[in-house]
Parts: sequence; C-alpha cells; structure tokens
Amino acid sequence: MGNSVVGQADTLPLPSTTWKADYLQDTAVRRLVLEQYDRECVPLRRYLQFLGMDADSAQETVHEAFLKLHQHLLGGGDRANLRAWLYRVSHNLARNTQSAFRSSRTDSLPDVTVSGELASPAASIEQELLAEERNRLVRDAIGGLSAAQRDCLVLRAQGFKYREIAEVLNLSVSTVGENIQRGLEKVKELL
Amino acid sequence: MKGCEEVSHLPSALLIKAIDEELPGGEAQEVESHLATCDSCRRRYQALRQVSGRIESAVAARQVELSSEQRTRLETELDARELAARAKPGASHVVRRLSWAVAIAAALAFLLLVAPQWRQSVKRTGSAAAAQPSAFEVDGESFVALPYSNPDLPLNTSHIVQMQVPVQSLADAGIVFEPISNEVAAQDRSVLADVLLGMDGRPVGIHVLASE
Repeated sequence: MGNSVVGQADTLPLPSTTWKADYLQDTAVRRLVLEQYDRECVPLRRYLQFLGMDADSAQETVHEAFLKLHQHLLGGGDRANLRAWLYRVSHNLARNTQSAFRSSRTDSLPDVTVSGELASPAASIEQELLAEERNRLVRDAIGGLSAAQRDCLVLRAQGFKYREIAEVLNLSVSTVGENIQRGLEKVKELL
Repeated sequence: MKGCEEVSHLPSALLIKAIDEELPGGEAQEVESHLATCDSCRRRYQALRQVSGRIESAVAARQVELSSEQRTRLETELDARELAARAKPGASHVVRRLSWAVAIAAALAFLLLVAPQWRQSVKRTGSAAAAQPSAFEVDGESFVALPYSNPDLPLNTSHIVQMQVPVQSLADAGIVFEPISNEVAAQDRSVLADVLLGMDGRPVGIHVLASE
C-alpha cells in the first residue's frame, strides 16, 4: 500500500509488569458480574416488567445495570448486597427512561401467561386459566396503588427485607413499612 | 378461647411485620401469643398472609424470555471494557467508561469499511491529512499515524487505550506490521498496542507493544 508504515517489533517496549495483576483482577470482577447476572437477571427483569416496562426495555435496562455493576466493581465499589445495588440502579435507570414508570397505574401491563413452573404438569387447562385470572386480578389491584406502594409490595414479594427495600427505593425503613401496610390492605380490599 | 371484646386487637402494621419477620424477638413472641388466643386477629393475620402469597405468585408468574444471545452480548461487552480498563493508569478514568470500548470497536470497524474511500477523498481534496506524519510522539510515546480521524482536531493525550488489535485491521489501514518473528506475521493474529484516540473518538495513532 502506498502509505504503508513499518513497525519494528523487536524494539517495541514490553507491557507493564502490572498488566497481569490487572488482568487477573478484572477477570475476577467479570466472573462476579456474570454470576450475579445468572442469579438476578430473571427476577430483575420480572420486577421491571411488573412495574410497567415492556420486555425489550426491561432487557436493555438490566443489561445496562450489569455494565454499571462491572464499572462499579472495577472502580473498587462496595460489594455488600450487590442484589440491592442492582435493583436500585435498575430502578433508577427505568425511572429515568420510562415515563410510564412514573405513573401510579400499571394497568397497561400485557397479559402474562402462567409459567410452567407454577402449574404442575398434570394441572388442567381450567386450573391454569383460573390461576391466570387470579394473577390478573392481583395485577389490576396492584395497578391501583401508588407507585411507592406498588414498588414496595413487588420488592417484598421478591423476598427483600424492609431495610433492603429502603435501600433500593431510597426511602426510610418506616416509610417502607407504611407503604407495605397500606398497599397490602388496599389489595386485600380489592381482591 | 378469649372473645375479641376481651383483648385489644393487634394493628395490621404489626401483623404484617410479623408475617415478614420484621419484628424483634420479644415483639414477635407477643404477637404469636396473642394470635394463639384471638380468633379475630388470627383471621386477619391469615387473610393478610393469603394476600401476600397471591402477590408473590402474581409476581413470580411474570414470564421472562431469556436467550443465550443476551448473556453472550454482556460477556462481549465486559471483555471489551476490561481490555480498555487495562490501559495506562493515567488514562484509566477515561477508558473505564463504557462508551470507549464501543467507540474503539466502531473505529476498527470503520477501518475495514470506510477508511479506504475516505483516504481517496482526502487525496482529491488535498486535505491536511495527506500531510499527516507517518509517526509522531505523545507524552514521550511514539505512535504510528493512522490514515483517518480528523487531523485538524487537537490531540487529547489522555485518550490512550491499550488493547489487542488484529494484524489484519492494521494491514487494511495501510500499516504493514513486519515483526522479526514470523509467527506474528500471520494475518489472523493480533498485537497488543496503545491506541491514541482523537477528539472525534477515532484512532489517530498506534504504538504496538507486543505480539499476542
């Protein structure tokens, strides 16, 4: 080629001696991120979808959250309770990008097919339809809650403790307790 | 069993916290004792538990479709970011940003697809790029100039990224890499290099550090 330039490999400087250590550290971080991904990807996407995000947006939000987790860990960030960290970041990403997310209603949620995990293989179609109808009623009831009540109840349903919910939603623990109580009583009335 | 009128009933908040195991040991014990003797509170407790279970079922029933492609995509991006993160310490604050890994990948793709046409355009217009030196120095490090990026933009020396660069990409950019060892001359190999990024995010120069 006309503008070709020749590099001299034998005179080039060698990589820094710290390169290998950095590589090992980065690989450990990568492994940790992927472990978290395998564990939390589905419930995290479920959480976002339950709050009103469509499947594609939830997928992109979760992807971005895991990239941020990688960045967080590479930067020496706190590794305590990464699950709550992931939910908090995902929640904030979703809130920033999804206008519908700010709404207190989630009645735009698409219909959900009942997962095979919930119904035994022998379950009749009628039982599945009944379960689906029951879930729809619950979703509708939750759709009538305030955003804070809804968020707290869904996180609670995913096994978070009040302290963790407070961390995810940036609320006080007592406020989380109040939201759960009011939300749960409201849903109970509606069912 | 005591009638409801004989005891003060437990507030819902307390019952819900008992369900959620959010009460300290002493209070939890008191609630348990009360529920053992108060039909009304026990019924309310059970109703709240039932509603809680229904909410859990509804949340768990949310179907999520997963594909291996999504995980592979994440792995690929993590690889690119970690290559970038192994850049020089002085540049780490820049290269650890997600956008850089993507920018570099895009720039290398640009090498293969657009650069040849761009170079022809430069020749026709007689731009300053044609006079770009074949090698230059930044912070004491020598870089071989790459035949693209806008030469009129100022260099930003903090945008140096250490990464593996395919030998084929270098060849396509007009840079013939001729190491002493015959092994690394193969076109399917890559070399570790410092890549200097211009202000437009495209590589301006390259300093080959070592073969794969």
